Amino acid sequence: MFSEPIHAPQPTFTERLKAFNWLFLIPVAMLAGIGAAALYSIAGGSLEPWAERHVIRFCAGLGLLFAVALVDIRVWIKSAYPVYILAFLLLAAVPLIGVENSGARRWLALGSLSFQPSELMKIALVLAMARYYQWLPPQKVSNPLALVVPLLMVVAPAALVAAQPDLGTAVLFTVVGLGLMFLAGVSWLYFVAAAVGVVSTLPFLFQRLHDYQKERVLTFIDPERDPMGAGYHILQSKIALGSGGITGKGYMQGTQSHLNFLPEKHTDFIFTMFAEEMGFIGGIGLLGLYLLLLLAIVYMALRCRSMFARLAVGGVGLGLFVYIFINAAMVMGLVPVVGVPLPLVSYGGTSMLTVMFGLGLVLNAHIHRKTRFRKHEIGAL
Amino acid sequence: MEPREAERRQGGRFTRRMLLLAGVQAGLFGVLGWRLRQLQVIDSRKYALLSDENRISLQLLAPTRGLIVDRFGELIAGNVESRRVLVVPELTKDLDGLLDRIGKIVEIPEAVRARVIRLAKKQSPHIPIVVAEKLSWREFAQVNIMAPDLAGAKTDILPVRTYFHGTDIAHIVGYVGAADKNEVNDDPVVRLPGFRIGKSGVEKGFEKELRGRAGNVRLEVNAHGRAVRKLDQVESARGRELVLTIDHDIQSKVMKRLAEERRAAAVALDCVTGEVIAMASTPSYDPNALISGLSPDEWSGMATADDDPLTNKAIRGQYPPGSTFKMVTALAGLEAGVIDKDSFIACHGGYMVKNVHFGCWRRGGHGRMNVHNAIKQSCDVFFYETANRVGIVKLAAMARRLGFGQTYDFGLPLQKPGVVPDPGWKRSTIGEPWYPGETVIAGIGQGFVLTTPLQLAVMTARIATGRAVVPRIVRPDPDHTPAPAKPLGLKDEHLAWVRDGMKGVVNEPGGTAGRARLPMPDVLMAGKTGTSQVNTASSGRRSHQIEWHERDHGLFVCYAPADKPRYAVAVIVEHGGSGSAAASPVARDIMIELVQKDPVGKPGYVASDTRRKTADGDDPGPATGKGG
Repeated sequence: MFSEPIHAPQPTFTERLKAFNWLFLIPVAMLAGIGAAALYSIAGGSLEPWAERHVIRFCAGLGLLFAVALVDIRVWIKSAYPVYILAFLLLAAVPLIGVENSGARRWLALGSLSFQPSELMKIALVLAMARYYQWLPPQKVSNPLALVVPLLMVVAPAALVAAQPDLGTAVLFTVVGLGLMFLAGVSWLYFVAAAVGVVSTLPFLFQRLHDYQKERVLTFIDPERDPMGAGYHILQSKIALGSGGITGKGYMQGTQSHLNFLPEKHTDFIFTMFAEEMGFIGGIGLLGLYLLLLLAIVYMALRCRSMFARLAVGGVGLGLFVYIFINAAMVMGLVPVVGVPLPLVSYGGTSMLTVMFGLGLVLNAHIHRKTRFRKHEIGAL
Repeated sequence: MEPREAERRQGGRFTRRMLLLAGVQAGLFGVLGWRLRQLQVIDSRKYALLSDENRISLQLLAPTRGLIVDRFGELIAGNVESRRVLVVPELTKDLDGLLDRIGKIVEIPEAVRARVIRLAKKQSPHIPIVVAEKLSWREFAQVNIMAPDLAGAKTDILPVRTYFHGTDIAHIVGYVGAADKNEVNDDPVVRLPGFRIGKSGVEKGFEKELRGRAGNVRLEVNAHGRAVRKLDQVESARGRELVLTIDHDIQSKVMKRLAEERRAAAVALDCVTGEVIAMASTPSYDPNALISGLSPDEWSGMATADDDPLTNKAIRGQYPPGSTFKMVTALAGLEAGVIDKDSFIACHGGYMVKNVHFGCWRRGGHGRMNVHNAIKQSCDVFFYETANRVGIVKLAAMARRLGFGQTYDFGLPLQKPGVVPDPGWKRSTIGEPWYPGETVIAGIGQGFVLTTPLQLAVMTARIATGRAVVPRIVRPDPDHTPAPAKPLGLKDEHLAWVRDGMKGVVNEPGGTAGRARLPMPDVLMAGKTGTSQVNTASSGRRSHQIEWHERDHGLFVCYAPADKPRYAVAVIVEHGGSGSAAASPVARDIMIELVQKDPVGKPGYVASDTRRKTADGDDPGPATGKGG
């Protein structure tokens, strides 16, 4: 009955270093290395302008990862709600004082720096949801009233980013939020009911779409409908992938990407460019590495004892999965063009720091996998 | 207890659901892998093809058009380099300023300037736009020296077809121009901007040989169409050098002589080989003016001009041959056996067929005529009777045998065939039966008979040699000297009697063209006058009393030397009056030039590409043999 203590004593810093999952850093570093190599090739065999900065950002990200991983987990559980509220306020401020860039208003300017509140919200959402279910007594999880707060936590920021518009992030918030509710133990029945509701209203929604929106959906289904317009990027991406064949065109030998047929090849379409040069073997290798990373995260989630740690790890894992899957499926023409980066591989400072922060949380939870929280340690709600 | 139990059950549920999500994730990764396999393994070939289409741009390299030279190597048509200035809009920030600076060196008309600015806005900024052409060396050098100050401008040199003896030889050589819609067929090089193809004359007739073969360069291009790398290149092959049979020297003298007349044409043949030594039609035009393309106004002005300068009357003018046709009638009669050397026919100045009277040009009549005197004095009645005896079918057959009623496929396009009438022809074109009077009038080359000056020259050469000579405008390859023309199959004595009559025309007292006698004592010329009526009402009136366009055409055909024929000449002076007065002096002057210079007796020019082939000496035996 009392086989375990109510709560294990908090580990000291040395104990935390010992409990650190060093092995986990191997796939992380490999992915960042692949990103740097691909960016070197895209620049035509040059460290400028991307590869070198990618490596520097990864190193900075590693510092952040260690910092996030090695602090006491109670820092995160205590700051969860304040961080969420801050992120939400900043996100709400974007439409009012944000900076517009190529048709979307996503940035806040802080002096000379610009900054995306939606990135902060990615972390904050996971922390806040985990914090909520840590507090909620297990037997009340499926209580309808207990669904109100987490649903609001998910829907409000998702609606704000969807309006920016930033479809990719909205999908991420929704999937991660609903996934966390599922992992926390919310009854199946709610999910089944929601799924039935959405599916049954889809045809009705399609009818109400504008013609150009319908056209966009149809073009997604058959990109050849409009090879020079909306389907252009997808078609070019498929040509690049397909022409790579099994063994690829060779490192730095990709024609489609080097000849600029491929858009955004250093960010959203980096997978295409990598698989064009490295072929099917390289593409499967990269996907395999990601799967390894995700399964390692699942493994760590399963070993945690507190709901906060479980959901923090599970939430970060889900978020990574959503980005990887949407990105790869998009460049292969399986889902519409949604601008999401490939974690650790795509060029981009914000994305890199967010991912490293998330991985730091995963490692932090892993270090504190045996920690249980006392009510007074977390406070109300 | 209860909360702890609930906590444990929650832990178990989390594990199950986490594993389920992990399974879903792995499954979706499987979908990604399956999709990747479909793209990169199964459909790879299809996409590889699309990828090549994407990135490889095939650009044609225009071949250099072959030169055209005369029989002694004088350059007739060549390619002269035009020095040009172009601007590349993307290389300059200030196109207006650049044009201003270029304008200080080369004049840029306002219209050109407007066109450059319009094109710069419309097309891809890396495509060069021509600002000025045909710069002098001085201007060209200045632009190049100023290059640092003219960023965005570049110069190049482009070959432009140029005719060196423009007007003199325009009708033979023709001219080139941009292909129009129905000429854009098999060879894609035709669609290159600025590419010119033959539009008339030899330029059109020998288009295939002159054009050469296009080369190409395969370029790797990026998504903007900009070339980033040259993959490979196939050089273009220059067009063949064409050696004409024309002697430019004689051609220009003939043109000069004809220029004294308003509308006239002349053809001079080597009557043994059929080579055209000169072919003239007046008035003429300058083919260089047609190269860059005329404005529609200029073109219609030229095409509808009086006297039709664009038409080569030597092959497109169709005239009643008049009395020059009498050799045909004579030979038809002799071959049919209806007349003989000494068959006499009395001429009383007229001839009756079914109550219709046909007059002889000499109202008083010629008296008793045999074939020799009838040709010499051009007695109409003799040939009325002969034609009547032979009948139209045999007469028409002889006309065709001597070269009428047909075109010759030797590289001069747009020939007219003329008309050799017979009952079948009349029924199909006019829809009426043949009347006997029409046979009689055809016997003197009037009525429906129509011939071209080229056909008249061919007829003369055939009578002179007794062989089925065909005309030729391009010198044969020295390795492949064509076989001599086949005999016509006419009896030698019949030909000899007719030739004797023709010799009499020029050299005997009473001949109709005594004034055409050659001034050299040892060379005699044989010939025949012709005066073809344009308007029957005009007969009997004096030339100066009638409107120019109602006057008779003057014709003359001849060959020389009479005993060993080498040159045949046919001349027509439209509305010039009688053949004797208007045409025979022109023909005589041409023949004097031919006999004095004797271009056929001199070694001709051998095309440079042919020479190279022999010099390589794959087969030394015949090559050295030919060299001797």
